[in-house]
Amino acid sequence: MERDPHGFVEGVLLSAYAIRAQAAYIYVRGEYRLPHDRVKAAIAEARAKNLVGRNILGSDFSCEVHMHRGGGAYICGEETGLMESLEGKRGHPRPKPPFPAMFGLWGQPTTVNNVETVFNVPFIMERGSAWFAGLGTANSKGNFLCGISGHVAKPGVYEFTFGITAKEILEQHAGGMWKGRGLKAWFPGGSSCALLTGKDVDVVLDHDSLRARGSSLGTAAMIMIDDHTSMARVMEIIARFYDHESCGQCSQCREGTQWLSQIFHRIAQGKGQPDDVATLEALAKGMAPGKTICALSDAAAIPTLSAVRLFKDELLECVRQKRDPLAQPTPAYAVAGGHHS
Amino acid sequence: LPTVVKIIVNGREVEADPKKPLIKACHDSGVDVPMYCYHPGLEPVGSCRICQVEVKQGEAPARVMVACRTQPAEGMVVDTESPKAHATRKECLEFLLKNHPLDCPICDKAGECDLQDYTYAEGQAAGRTHEERRELDKRKSLGDTIVLDQERCILCSRCVRFFEEVPKQAQLTVSNLGSRSVIATFMDRPLQGKYQGNIADLCPVGALTLKKFRFQARVWNLVKMASTCGECSRGCSTTVEVLRGADVKRVRPRENEAVNKFWMCDIGRFAFERHNRPGRMEGAALRDGAKLVPHPVEDALTRLRDELMREKSAAWILSPWCTIEEGERAKALAARLGHQLCFVSPAPNGEKDDLLHTGDPCPNRRGLSDLGIAGLEAAKALEAAKGAKLVVLLGERIVELLGAGEIARVDATRTAVHLVDEFALDVPCVRSVFGAANCVERVGTWANVDGVRGPISAVKAPPIGARSPARLMDELVRLMPKLQESAR
Repeated sequence: MERDPHGFVEGVLLSAYAIRAQAAYIYVRGEYRLPHDRVKAAIAEARAKNLVGRNILGSDFSCEVHMHRGGGAYICGEETGLMESLEGKRGHPRPKPPFPAMFGLWGQPTTVNNVETVFNVPFIMERGSAWFAGLGTANSKGNFLCGISGHVAKPGVYEFTFGITAKEILEQHAGGMWKGRGLKAWFPGGSSCALLTGKDVDVVLDHDSLRARGSSLGTAAMIMIDDHTSMARVMEIIARFYDHESCGQCSQCREGTQWLSQIFHRIAQGKGQPDDVATLEALAKGMAPGKTICALSDAAAIPTLSAVRLFKDELLECVRQKRDPLAQPTPAYAVAGGHHS
Repeated sequence: LPTVVKIIVNGREVEADPKKPLIKACHDSGVDVPMYCYHPGLEPVGSCRICQVEVKQGEAPARVMVACRTQPAEGMVVDTESPKAHATRKECLEFLLKNHPLDCPICDKAGECDLQDYTYAEGQAAGRTHEERRELDKRKSLGDTIVLDQERCILCSRCVRFFEEVPKQAQLTVSNLGSRSVIATFMDRPLQGKYQGNIADLCPVGALTLKKFRFQARVWNLVKMASTCGECSRGCSTTVEVLRGADVKRVRPRENEAVNKFWMCDIGRFAFERHNRPGRMEGAALRDGAKLVPHPVEDALTRLRDELMREKSAAWILSPWCTIEEGERAKALAARLGHQLCFVSPAPNGEKDDLLHTGDPCPNRRGLSDLGIAGLEAAKALEAAKGAKLVVLLGERIVELLGAGEIARVDATRTAVHLVDEFALDVPCVRSVFGAANCVERVGTWANVDGVRGPISAVKAPPIGARSPARLMDELVRLMPKLQESAR
């Protein structure tokens, strides 16, 4: 959106033409001002060339492209929450069925796709589907954007072809772990997928290989965690995020995300109770899978279950010692802020 | 879609409407499925997740799903009691109870609380939480009618959806996100309109309580009977609830698809306070010179009989609160005695709305009109009274409708008034007064504006010696000479 907004608008128009959609909405998180402004300018340029609007290039195909800036709620990334938000309501995900293809935005048939997906379309149209299908692995075709963050020397967003290993990305592109430290654990695709340990870094990054290791590629936003880090603290931060972002409709998610957050907080503070780790596991199982309207509850439960499975001893040690042995002084920037201030 | 499909619920084949959610089919076949956010009068949203049942469809393995967002389909096999369904509901309850204050001993809802009942039913005896419970506003006033206890609220959003869907005027919303969610009005404005009380009935827990019912009674001490609202000609079906045979403490709408669905207005809901007024007329009283003096009812009735049989220039004026049964008796008596008969027909009271209230304050106008009894405005009815030598004013609120001052102006030397009402009226023209039972003290039937009949029940006893007008007229007839067969 920032570097090739015209290519993205082209993808939007081609996709809309393919399904004969008369309107396309680009929902951008409100904080993302630069991509918003650049795409908006690109739409204006396209309109001036009669590539957007009525009777595009003299054809009988008309398509309006709208930009919308969201208020920054995580749940508005869920496709039905996004549509509710676009309609001017609270971003509460809708129960499915009916699915968006049947009853979507303002009741019209709708498809919701990521910008990343749509951006592939012009390239496929130009070079052919055989070219695209030739990229990647058996069931994961093409390229993906990988945002690598955490304790790495060169965090950033990289584009790779499916089939590369996490180890290659970490060592050859992200400059390895920072300060020469070891890799303790990592999220292959954002904080809502299951944690993997350092041993799993040799995994091939595609959907099948990650599923075989008990995790998933998710958004391919890899988060690398070094061996000086407390898992209690990592999970405290992640659980707090989901507590903050739950829309609050479903009982399990509203209460469960708060509960997980409270327990991880206590464990990290050295105030854990002997039954806390078992409770974490039971709660996470009560929150997922498929027990709620959308997958946010699952997104909080899955990393919790993996943390309890892989780092049970570390969490129990925090409880036993009544302190977190790996606790680090809270950096000054994190003291005042915090979601719950 | 077919209009009806056959499904199996707990091993029994039942018919279900595929356009209604599965939970409705379960309830209609007598199978209890817990519910908080679902209410048969509102659109299902599937957010509380308590109505989990096990559903098997075709060859796919059985799945636990929410019954309120599942449509019944031919051949669907539903098990509401499977171990998996129970386990899922139990988990859900633990989450719902995590921040619930568990202040049942001081909660007005205790005894009729869905959270309490289903917690017992699913055997959730202990909680695992070590956390402090959410501290929120425990007594937030939402206007003149409702108090909100945010701590007890389980955010089912029934109250929010009620205002959106029924009076179609959104007033409440869920404010904030996630575990910080609370029910609120826009800018803390008080609730408006005359349908607010319904949200206290809708609330599955003790979060929304009526200001007029808070701390008034434990619900298990209330005697509840089916009745009909008497505040307009809609005649909403109600349940009248009386504490230990004394005061009416609450009136709630009773489900009736043909009349009021699940709702009633606050005018009808809170009209019960008039039934708790002191100073009711007991037995009978006769005029002795300057004042009314208590008198044995049987003797007073005999004297009334004598005067009725002697006087041909007489009029019976009924209250529109009289039942169909009372109308029938009055009609027969007036015909036998050659007397005039009418009922008082007050003007519309300006409360008419698009939902329930008809603006016509008479609960049985239709019933009395269908009997052929004429309705007269108060002034016209009084004119008729002044033209007669004997007048019987019969039924609750008759003095209120005609006006005590107007009755006092009736010339006592010309017209003798006999009054059957809840309260005595001591003015010169009134010769005798009989205490009357009101609409929570007697049985009978009213017909609403559309002709739908609704019962009234004797939820409590009338004052000593007070009678229902029907019984009073039956006793009068018994005191009269037997009619010949041919005369009947």
